[in-house]
Amino acid sequence: MSDMNAENRLTLGDALRALPLAAPGRDAWPALAAYLVPPARRRRRYGAPLAIAAACMLAFVAALSLRHMPSAVVEPQVTATVAPAAASSKTNGANVSDETNVTNIHEPAKTDGGDRLAAAQARSQALERWLRDTRRAASPLPSQDLAAAAEIENLIGLVDVELAASSADGALSLWRRRVALLEDLTALRYSNDRLAESAAASPAIGILNRIN
Amino acid sequence: MTASSFQLEVPQSLIDRAKAGEVDAFERIYHRFERPAYTLALRILGDAEAAHDVLHDAMLKVFQCIGQYRNDAPFWAWLRQIALNQALMRLRRERRFEPDTDVEYLTDDAAAPTWVHADASALERALGALPALTRSVLWMYHVEGYSHPEIAELVGKTTSFSKSQVARGTARLRALLDPSPCLIEAGSPACLI
Repeated sequence: MSDMNAENRLTLGDALRALPLAAPGRDAWPALAAYLVPPARRRRRYGAPLAIAAACMLAFVAALSLRHMPSAVVEPQVTATVAPAAASSKTNGANVSDETNVTNIHEPAKTDGGDRLAAAQARSQALERWLRDTRRAASPLPSQDLAAAAEIENLIGLVDVELAASSADGALSLWRRRVALLEDLTALRYSNDRLAESAAASPAIGILNRIN
Repeated sequence: MTASSFQLEVPQSLIDRAKAGEVDAFERIYHRFERPAYTLALRILGDAEAAHDVLHDAMLKVFQCIGQYRNDAPFWAWLRQIALNQALMRLRRERRFEPDTDVEYLTDDAAAPTWVHADASALERALGALPALTRSVLWMYHVEGYSHPEIAELVGKTTSFSKSQVARGTARLRALLDPSPCLIEAGSPACLI
């Protein structure tokens, strides 16, 4: 009788965990090892487009910073027009003034840590929204850029993993890293020639202005 | 409660060697986590070839990014998260992110759970018959020990969604393993509640 009761208490979790581990039909290690052996060459391959993307982004941010400087310094609230998306970032309620502050994250801190964190999250959301909204308009990336974009997306995924396990103290630097990676991705997309050509006829420029 | 199969001890020295780029350290890490990672991918995707791809991609990402691992979470949890993200991304890409919503099942909760008497292969078959997203939520919750809010975040849905998928998945497994199930397709006149 007690055996039957014990059986009935077997939860689905117990039953699923008791399933044997599956083994892949073939060893994946040789293919992985092939990737790992020439790491220097792989880095070089992605390094060029990343450097180009970073340079484009710097130029782009510098131009926009100059353009927005008066209003950003005097009245930060009026320059930002995008409400934070409720996508993947954790603070959906961050306000637009936070977002504007994050645009200038290299400026001396004007707010306390909580505000800066909320601002970084809002900035991250805005960039993600732009990337999502312009995905259809963007022409296919050249293969090198595509590899670089995949690499950046991988790095963003890893930052997310670290964020999930991070303490409050480490969160701000991780969110800033996430923002920086999203900016790289934005620059890569924006530097794509055909998108730039069609920008005048599409809302992409407007969106870029809004997220900056 | 049995721990996740990922919950394996990895010596810090091995992680350090992998961070330094030693391929044999990578190989040891790979073989340690090969089966847990493959099993997780297989349970989520329900396809051996896709699971193999995910194993490959996840391990590659682990090795490429191991320098960013900061020791503030167990290594196995970091690696599991990467494998899980890869599998879920694949599911999204394949547009198999549809949950179980259109079928209801009558079950007798007072009866012994049907999985008590099911052998492993029957349970695996039943698991494989679930919609991919439902199966994934069930696996993350019951086997990997993720909470409903964590699952909700991972799949981009609500906590209620996660709870409902666990309930539906459990009921459906119970029905699939029942020798005389009363399965009600939407709109069927039979066995109405």
